[in-house]
Amino acid sequence: MEIELLEIRNFIKRCSPFDVLDDFVLDTLPEKLTIRYFRRGHTFPEINTQEKSLYIIRSGAIEFRDQAGLLNDKLAEGDIFSQQCIVDSSESGIAVEDTLVYLLPCELLAQLRKNADVFNRHFNRSINERLRDAVKHTHAENMRDLSAMKLEVSGLTDRLPVIVDQATSIQQAAKIMTKEQVSAILVTFDNQLCGILTDRDIRSRCVAEAIALEQPVSLIMSTDLKTVKDTTLLSEALLAMTRKQVQHLPVLKNNAPVGILTTADVVRHLSTSPALIATDIGKAISLQALERISTRLPELQLQLSLSSATAKHIGEVIASITDAITCRLLELAEARYGAPPVKYVWAAGGSQARNEQTSHSDQDNALIISDEFKPEHAAYFKSLTQFVSDGLNACGYVYCPGNAMATNPQWCQPLSVWQQTFGRWINSPEPKALMLSSIFFDLRAVYGDFSLLDKLQHSVLKRTKDSQLFISLMVANALTHQPPLGFFRNFVLVQDATHKNTLNLKQRGIIPIVDIARVLALKTGISAISTVDRLNAAFESEALSAEMRDNLLDALEFIGSLRIRHQAEQIRTGVGVDNYVSPGELSGLEKSHLKDSFAIIKTMQQFFESRYSSA
Amino acid sequence: MIRLTHIYQLLGKNFVRQRLLSKASSPVMQHFLSKAFPDKKKFIDEVVIVSLDIETTGLDPDKDKIVSIGLVEIRHLGIKLQSCWHQIIQTKKNIPEQSIVIHQITDDQIKTGISIEQAMPLLLEHLKGKVMLVHNAKLELGFINKICQVLYASDFVIPVIDTQALARRSLDRRNSAYNTSDLRLFNLRCARHMPAYKAHNALMDAIATAELFLAMLNDIVPRCEMDKGKARLADFLS
Repeated sequence: MEIELLEIRNFIKRCSPFDVLDDFVLDTLPEKLTIRYFRRGHTFPEINTQEKSLYIIRSGAIEFRDQAGLLNDKLAEGDIFSQQCIVDSSESGIAVEDTLVYLLPCELLAQLRKNADVFNRHFNRSINERLRDAVKHTHAENMRDLSAMKLEVSGLTDRLPVIVDQATSIQQAAKIMTKEQVSAILVTFDNQLCGILTDRDIRSRCVAEAIALEQPVSLIMSTDLKTVKDTTLLSEALLAMTRKQVQHLPVLKNNAPVGILTTADVVRHLSTSPALIATDIGKAISLQALERISTRLPELQLQLSLSSATAKHIGEVIASITDAITCRLLELAEARYGAPPVKYVWAAGGSQARNEQTSHSDQDNALIISDEFKPEHAAYFKSLTQFVSDGLNACGYVYCPGNAMATNPQWCQPLSVWQQTFGRWINSPEPKALMLSSIFFDLRAVYGDFSLLDKLQHSVLKRTKDSQLFISLMVANALTHQPPLGFFRNFVLVQDATHKNTLNLKQRGIIPIVDIARVLALKTGISAISTVDRLNAAFESEALSAEMRDNLLDALEFIGSLRIRHQAEQIRTGVGVDNYVSPGELSGLEKSHLKDSFAIIKTMQQFFESRYSSA
Repeated sequence: MIRLTHIYQLLGKNFVRQRLLSKASSPVMQHFLSKAFPDKKKFIDEVVIVSLDIETTGLDPDKDKIVSIGLVEIRHLGIKLQSCWHQIIQTKKNIPEQSIVIHQITDDQIKTGISIEQAMPLLLEHLKGKVMLVHNAKLELGFINKICQVLYASDFVIPVIDTQALARRSLDRRNSAYNTSDLRLFNLRCARHMPAYKAHNALMDAIATAELFLAMLNDIVPRCEMDKGKARLADFLS
C-alpha cells in the first residue's frame, strides 16, 4: 500500500466487520478499491454494474424502501452494502444525500472471508446463523469487558496489615494477633517482608511440634510467600489462593504491604450470591432488615453479569429473590394480622411471573382468594395486601403506575370473581381493557394455596384457545410495539424515518417477543409462563417452527444480554438503572446483531399479523 | 501578439501533438506523443482520465522544483485506486520550511526519491494517450512544460480537465458571487459535504480532485443524470 493511502485504510478499519481484520490484511485493501459517487436522487447501486462489489459508504446516505414505499433501511458513512456479494439480489435504493462509496470486488471479499473466520461469520447467509453466533460470543465478551474494570483486591481488604519483626517471640506475636483480632500477621526482616504467620502456623508448627513460645516467629512462619498486587483482580487472587492452598494473601502496593486478603474477605464479597441473600431474607425479622438486604440486589445483578451468566439466568435469579422477599413479607404480615380467615394465593405478574426480572422493577401482583371468602374478610386482606405492597415498595419494587396490584380491590378477588373477570376479557374483549389486562395473563403463584391459581389458569386457557376475536385482539396488541429498523449514523432508525437518540431495549426488543410468546400460549393452551418455556412449548405443540423458535430465543437472549450489560455498567457507575441504550454505546458488530434481532421480530410480527389478526 | 500555439489549440490537442511529434528529437517525448489523445466527442465515461497533483517548492517553474507527484486513474467514472502512483522527487535544493509544513515531506524523505530525470519518463508513460485532470492546472502545466523544454527540448501537450475552471464556470453561469478561496479544492469539497482528508500529499490530493470531479460531473450536465453517457469529453475540457 502506498503510505499516502493510510487515511483510506484507517477509514475502512473503522467499518464493522473490517475492524476484525489483521492490519497487514487491511494494508492490502485500499489499492483494490474503486471510488464512486452517487448524486442525491440517483439509484444505488449502479443498475448495470459490470463487476459485483461490496460497497462501503464513505460519506452521504442511501435509503431503501419496499414496493409500498415504506422505509426498510438507511445506510450512512461507515455502513456496508454487501447484497451483491452475498445473495443474488438486485436490491436497490436511492441516494438521499450526495454519496461517496468505496467498492470492493466480490472476489476479493470471498478471499478475505476464506482467510478470516470472525470476519466470515458476519457475512453468513442467514440472520439466524449470525445471531446464534453472536449469542455464543456475547457472554465471553461481557465478562472480559466488565471484570477488567473494577473488582480489584484493593477494595476488598478493610484494614492495614499487622506487621512484626522476625525476632519477635511466638508468644508476643500471638498476643498481638489476639489484641488486633487478626488471623494472620506479616513478618519483616530489616523492614523487608519475609514471611507470614497465621493461626494455623501457631497450631501446626508451634503447639503440635512443642516449640518453645520464646522462640522467634521466624522459626514457624511461612516463608514461601505468595503475594498479590493491589490491582490484582479478585478472580486472579481467588485462583492463587486455590492453587497455593493458602487462606491469606499479602496485598502489595508499590512493593509495600497494604493489607492481607483472607478467604473471609472473599466470601464476604461473594455473599452477594443468591443463595446467601435468600437465606438472609428468610431470616429477616423486620421490614427494615428486608430493605437492607434488597439493597444488595443491584450488586447481585452486577456480579451475575460479571460471571457471564445469561440474561435468562439472571432474570430467573432476580425473580427468585423477589419471590423470597414477597414470601417473607407475607409471613411478616400474617404474623402481624393473624392467620388468614380463608385460603388465598399471592400471584406475581409481569416480568417477575415470567422469571425475566431485572433488579428493582415495578411490582405487579394479584390476590386470588378462596370462594369461601365472606365480605367481613375484606378488611383482613386489605391490611395484608397493603402491608406487602408497601413493603415491596420500600424494598425498591415501586408501586405499579397502572395500579395492577393486589391492593387494588379489582385485583384482590375470590376465585369465582376472577373467573368472571377473565371470562369477560375473553368473551367480549375490548382492545384497551385488554392492553391493560395483558399483564394478568402472566401470573405465577408465589405464596399461599397454589391450587387457586392453577384452577383459574386452567379455566382461562380453556376459553382463550377457541376465542378467535380474543386472540386476534391480543395479536393486534402484540403488534403495538414495533422494533426499529436498525441504526443510522448515531440514531435509532424507525419506520417513519424520525431518528431517535436512544433505544428502549425492553419496549422495542424484549416486549415484542414476550407478547408473541403470550399470544402463542393463550392460543395453544400452554400453561408455561416464562417466554422461553412458552416458545419451547409452542414448538412442541407445532404452533411454531423450530427455526422460528430458535430465532426468537436467540433474539431474546441477545437483546437481553445487551440490556444486562447496559444495566451492569449503570450499577457499576452508580446511576439509576434503565433500559435506554444510545447507539453510541454499541459497537458496530452489536448494532448489526441488533438489526438482525429486529428483523427476526419483524418477520414474526408479520407472520402473526397475516395468520391471526385477519380472522 | 497571437502565438502559434494558440492557433494550435483551436485546432485541437491531437493536431498539436502531431506537430510536436514531427519535431521531437527525444525518444521519451516521441514515445509520449506517439499515442493519440481521446477524441473530444467521446462519451466521458469511455475516456481514461488521469487525476494528477504535484507538490512543489514554490510557484515559479523557473526557480522552483517538483518534490512529489501523485496520480490516480478514473475509468468508467470509477476511481481505480489500483492505478495509484506516488513518487517523491529528489532535489539538490533544500525545501523551504514553509513547504515542508504544507507537503509533510522532509529532506530525509526526499533522499528516498528519484531524480526528476528518472521520474519524467514514468510520469509521461502514465499520461500517454489520456486526459489529465488537475485542480488549477496552470501550476502543473507550467512545471511539466518547463521540465519538458529543459529535458526534451519540446513543449508538453495534453487534453486537460480543470476542476477549478469547471467550478468557476458553474459559479459564473449562476451569477453567484464568490471569493477566490471558494475555488480551493478543500473548500469546494466542503461545500459538497465531501469528507475532509487530513493528509495533504500529492496522491491524496489527486484522489480528492478525482472525487470532486465525479461530484461535479452531475452539475455540469444535470440533465444527463440518469444517463451520464450522454456527456462528452468536450463538455469538460479547458
